[in-house]
Amino acid sequence: MTVIESRSPTPMPLLRAASIGAFIVLGFFLPRLLGGTSVAYSTLTTIAIFAVMCYGVDVVLSYLGEVSLGHTLFWAIGGYAAANLSTKYGLDGWSTALATIALCLAAAAFLGAVTLRTREFVFSLVTYAAAVVAYEIAFNWDAIGGSDGIVGIPPLTLPLVATSFSAATQEDLWPVSFVLLLLTLGLIARFRYSRLGTVALMAQMNPALAASLGVDPRRVRLAVFVISAPITGLAGWLYAYQRAYVGPDMFESYFLVMMLTAVVLVGRRVLIGPLVGTALLVAQQNLFSLGGDWNKIVLGSVLALVLIFWPTGLVGLYRRFSKR
Amino acid sequence: MNVAQQIVNGIVLGSGYACIALGWTILLGVARLVNFAHGQLYMLGAFVTWFATSKAGLPYPLAIAAAVAVLSALGLLMQSAMMRLVMTQNLTSLMIVTLGIGYVLQGGSALIFGGNPQTLPGTLSRAKVDLGPLWFTWQDVLVLIVTIALYAAVWLFTQRTRYGSVIRAVAEDPKLAELFGINARIVYLLVFVFECSAVALGAALVAPRSPILTSMGFNEVIMTFVVVVLGGIGSIGGALAAGLGLGLFTAFFGAFVAQAYTTAAAFALLLALLVIRPAGLATK
Repeated sequence: MTVIESRSPTPMPLLRAASIGAFIVLGFFLPRLLGGTSVAYSTLTTIAIFAVMCYGVDVVLSYLGEVSLGHTLFWAIGGYAAANLSTKYGLDGWSTALATIALCLAAAAFLGAVTLRTREFVFSLVTYAAAVVAYEIAFNWDAIGGSDGIVGIPPLTLPLVATSFSAATQEDLWPVSFVLLLLTLGLIARFRYSRLGTVALMAQMNPALAASLGVDPRRVRLAVFVISAPITGLAGWLYAYQRAYVGPDMFESYFLVMMLTAVVLVGRRVLIGPLVGTALLVAQQNLFSLGGDWNKIVLGSVLALVLIFWPTGLVGLYRRFSKR
Repeated sequence: MNVAQQIVNGIVLGSGYACIALGWTILLGVARLVNFAHGQLYMLGAFVTWFATSKAGLPYPLAIAAAVAVLSALGLLMQSAMMRLVMTQNLTSLMIVTLGIGYVLQGGSALIFGGNPQTLPGTLSRAKVDLGPLWFTWQDVLVLIVTIALYAAVWLFTQRTRYGSVIRAVAEDPKLAELFGINARIVYLLVFVFECSAVALGAALVAPRSPILTSMGFNEVIMTFVVVVLGGIGSIGGALAAGLGLGLFTAFFGAFVAQAYTTAAAFALLLALLVIRPAGLATK
């Protein structure tokens, strides 16, 4: 298994930069290439938002090897922060985004610190329970929306130095979601080769080696968990503006299953894996929908079957066939 | 507000928590496995019971048997599919796979049973026992008796019989147990089938108390999980004590503080405990 591919010096850095640039330009104009309809824009915006959401889980699952079942909590924190602060205090997008990041960091630090000394699966259990409890609070606490949620979130505004950007339609939201996706991809790419990223992988793959080098796996888990939270949080933040509505349904297990499936479908530890996985799954649900209940069966089966039969995902499957 | 009535309510609630948690306690404690489809299995058990009584017209005891049979078969299927992950003790993947299966069960049940809330008709759950200022139903008595009997039986089986030590040997080290001629696969299969039938029985007994929905899933049994962790992962006596204790806590908190936030309060209790004793109450 290729786990850490050593960063071989790229023979042609210019070519590499050019292909990344082409990828970005192509990605940006993709909705127009697909016809420029509002369906194309909204589907691609959803894919970008959901992909960012999945990257939060990806960091924990792929590089730490732990399962966080509480990322819907951060997803909802982003949505509720955007909804409450923009409707009640008229704050702009920058402020709500900052609040999202701060709240997610605080929540993740608290949850991670409390579970610091627990066994591995207790961590998953507690994160799961945290999301369920947060759901109950969001459902019952009328001051932050209650069971009805918050309707009528104003369009996203991001005032820049001289001008101001306002996203009233799906077409306007696309650039924001695309930039958020690019920033996330950049962050993950950096994280993979950062000290924390490699130490996390080492603690997962070879705990004995990590321990002999003085790595405390609990601290690594806490650090990675805290970093992952605002990624999913910011996706929730943008999702609130896209839907103009936030409610307790942000805690639905759909999002949790979606996050995990998108990561394992293509294969763990693949940079664009969650993006491709999200694109495939959202395309199935939006364009080839079989109805809500059947979509659940499809999503859940994909998750279970991939892990049972091809634990390395589509990438592993491809490698197995290409070797023959 | 009557304190004695709240104690009764607490025992009623707590025996329900403990009853639903039994399967998970065994799975986690005896076989060191996790099953995140537990909530959906509970839902399915309740709906099979409902279908058997309301649609097929079976009497209640037969409906319970039907629920246990359906879920045992499902458990056999699930565990056979996951056997490779179980034998390699790949808990990370097992957690995610069971979560996915739970999601499939949720979608499938909505297709079969429809999306409307249902209530289990029960003659016992309407038969009230009035003791002056106190009241409870015969269904509550049944749940309490069955729960205590089941816990006693399971404790005796795992701690005092040869089969029990075989199961515990497999939990310690499946590879080593196989060297001694134990078929670890069969043991895992049986433990998992037991988990599924226990949750079916729990659902058939406890679900008549409240309306059931195909989407209820894990939220409905979140207390189960608090019971399991509070009781000290897999300790049988610990789970029973934690279930009853949590029932009392929930009853009093709901009556005297805030009904809507009882789950949150139970969770806060759990977090506080995890900081003080990460391995649960029962351990030293």
